[in-house]
Amino acid sequence: MAKFNLNINGEDKTVDVDPSTPLLWVLRDHLNLVGTKYGCGIAQCGACTVHFNGSAVRSCQLPVSSLEGSKIRTIEGLSENGDHPVQQAWLEIDVPQCGYCQAGQIMSASALLESNPNPSDEEIENAMNGNICRCGTYSRIKAAIKAASKSQIA
Amino acid sequence: MKTIKASGIGNPIDRIEGHLKVTGKAKYASEFPVENMVYAQGVNSTIAKGKITSIDTSEAEKLDGVLAVITYKNAEKLKNYPKDMTNFSLTTVAPVFQDRQVHYYGQYIACVIAETFEQAQYACRLVKVTYEEESPDIHLDKNRGKAYKPGDSADFSRGDMDAGMREADVTLEQTYTTPIEHQQPMELHAAIVNWNDGKVKMYANQQILNQATTSISETFGIPKEDVQIITPYIGGGFGSKLNVYKHITMATMASKMIGRPVQITVTRHQMFTNTGMRQFDEQEMRLGAIKDGSLTALAHHTTSHTAKNLQYFEACGNVSKMLYKTPNNAVTHRLIPLNIQCPSSMRAPGEATGSFALESAIDELAWKLKMDPIDFRIKNDTQVDMGADKPFSSRLLVECLRIGADKFGWENRKMQPGTNKKGNWLIGYGVSAASRRAPYMKTSAKIVLELNEAALNANIKMDATDIGTGTYTIVAQTVSEYLGIPVENVKVEIGDSEFPVTPGSGGSWGAASYCNGARKACENAIAELKKKQNITESEEIEVAELLQQNNLTTFEAEGTAEPSEEYKKHSVFSFGANFTEVWVDKDTGMYRIKRMVNVGSAGKILNPKTAYGQIIGGLTMGAGMVIAERTQVEPNYGNFITRTLADYHVPVNLDLANIDVVFLPEEDKIANEMGVKGIGELGITSVAASIANAIFNATGKRMRDLPITPEKLIEAGLEPGVA
Repeated sequence: MAKFNLNINGEDKTVDVDPSTPLLWVLRDHLNLVGTKYGCGIAQCGACTVHFNGSAVRSCQLPVSSLEGSKIRTIEGLSENGDHPVQQAWLEIDVPQCGYCQAGQIMSASALLESNPNPSDEEIENAMNGNICRCGTYSRIKAAIKAASKSQIA
Repeated sequence: MKTIKASGIGNPIDRIEGHLKVTGKAKYASEFPVENMVYAQGVNSTIAKGKITSIDTSEAEKLDGVLAVITYKNAEKLKNYPKDMTNFSLTTVAPVFQDRQVHYYGQYIACVIAETFEQAQYACRLVKVTYEEESPDIHLDKNRGKAYKPGDSADFSRGDMDAGMREADVTLEQTYTTPIEHQQPMELHAAIVNWNDGKVKMYANQQILNQATTSISETFGIPKEDVQIITPYIGGGFGSKLNVYKHITMATMASKMIGRPVQITVTRHQMFTNTGMRQFDEQEMRLGAIKDGSLTALAHHTTSHTAKNLQYFEACGNVSKMLYKTPNNAVTHRLIPLNIQCPSSMRAPGEATGSFALESAIDELAWKLKMDPIDFRIKNDTQVDMGADKPFSSRLLVECLRIGADKFGWENRKMQPGTNKKGNWLIGYGVSAASRRAPYMKTSAKIVLELNEAALNANIKMDATDIGTGTYTIVAQTVSEYLGIPVENVKVEIGDSEFPVTPGSGGSWGAASYCNGARKACENAIAELKKKQNITESEEIEVAELLQQNNLTTFEAEGTAEPSEEYKKHSVFSFGANFTEVWVDKDTGMYRIKRMVNVGSAGKILNPKTAYGQIIGGLTMGAGMVIAERTQVEPNYGNFITRTLADYHVPVNLDLANIDVVFLPEEDKIANEMGVKGIGELGITSVAASIANAIFNATGKRMRDLPITPEKLIEAGLEPGVA
């Protein structure tokens, strides 16, 4: 075990865990931030996506020991009241069905829009390709990203 | 009764739990804070058949944090399957560690309980097992002699098949195969179980709570009322969470043994070996038609596999009993017991796979007859379910086909394959007809009315579940409609087995059943309040006013809705038509699904937004059947080669086409009082055939084995008659 200082959603946190613990389990088991989901454990499904210094990463493959000095943002910290343009577009277009993969989808989508405010269809498909949704909400994900992009630009 | 305040059924309102799902606040089974909780993890067998000769748990037990290891040696005695080849049903018991036998690769043989998830996982690797290994039955081909008929419902016949084939001008005999597939909902199976003084309370992601409590109580020999399951949100089911699987038994047994709440989360690997799958199906089709396109004969024979000690089959042939008018019809299902886990329901069991065979064969026969495949289907339409000898409650299949054709631009389709080209792309159009039984089952609900100043609030409770389908929203809309209050004033409480009994989510019966149960509770509340004041049933009066007249601020009522006699006299199905455009690269066999149009006739649509989601989800999973999904079984050892999301491929964002979904305006009052029919499985039904038929139209190649991968497409030859 070792102590790690983390900056999560703008707050400084200290956790005492094994250095190899993936960020996903630090979030879920030690900080009770369960919005980030466990889907596969091998970075193949995207359910655990968070922002690492603004980029979308898979937290199930990110050891806590690699995080000192970086800024982590999870679904809980994306917006104050759940009103980030991506979250609003998600609601309006009724993207979530079972909802389990959606935190990961939203974190991938919001990271995409931060780096590319007006993505093309192809750019959306490529950026979102690593986030699996078994309910099959893909066409709505595309539509919602476009809607969020428009509302952000406007 | 309807007032302008009501935002009732039929409106595309936003999902009422949507905010929780976009902020990460919806709580799933493994996420409830429970004091003093420990973790369990299962150990899986590494042989497919044999006997455990020794199991050494000493090293695992010595590990820091490990509290116990359960094996067949120290497991409590549980109720076993009542007989050999018991039907695997929603209430089947889930015994584990009752003997030393191993029936399939990955079977649970031990369970570790530890203070942390990591300790439990690591300790599983320290359990040392030796086996007396036997040669497993893995191949269908090597075990054909063991095929048997799984009960009377497996076979059906009408007329004289052979005579029908002799009478035909054109015949078709072809075999279609579909692989083992896995449901793989994104949320892993998980449970937090607390055994407390003989009573069990668990958070567990089960689709059908009433039957799950029966299974668990019978497994442990305790009263059903002593088992409580809570599951407000379920991260997808697709059939995988219908039955009670053995991780539930392990966690329950562990909690009883340790005296603490136990959490179990199965791994993605275990989601392949221990929580169900769609079986491999080999479907032999025989069809005959005369020159004008009338079918004279239709036979559908399915061979599949089941476990060595449990029986399950998806009824692929049922669709061939009812979809088309044919005087001569034969359907059979045969099972071969193999050393592979027991199959189970996966979205539209029977229909998804059966309609791939039937709707591909229909397309092939249309080609042989030189008929347009839509005209051929319309020619053989029937308003009577010939398999059940009952009229359909409503059937707008012809309308779905015609309206879909129009919307899709079917008139631009070239009859001759390979003639619509764009550069290196060969473009093809395909069609298929969809049908899915739309059951409606006995459902109870309790409504609590509360008058707050002049505002009426309602709280409805039922043991329904929401697996992403929109249950919360459509139930709220129903209450809003029948009480005449805004949907914001309705609180929906579901996902608790202590609430009034519903049939749960599965089999496309959820929406119709839940909403009619909710309707009945509302109607009963109003009727009881009117009766107290001697107000006639027909008089229109606001519910808030009724409460005031009764000097009440709160009132409770229950209701149970049940199918009518008319329902029982009819066959109740939802219908649809799928249209697909594919582009196939003529050199590499790579192909893209460019667009899909789906037209559905499914009674009254409760909420177009959530309903649309069900159809696109079904189409996506159906596309997965064609482009990627296949579980590969190692032929000697019987383990699944594809057992992660890295090698079991499911559709992703890049794969999906532009999808257009249309619902025909309809109310089917025979189906139920609200005119509602299920749509959860309609979308996946027959979409595979529509894609395969489009590939034929593009390339002239008939692809009868799913998934259709580029190398299969390259190797396939042209059909006779293709220029």
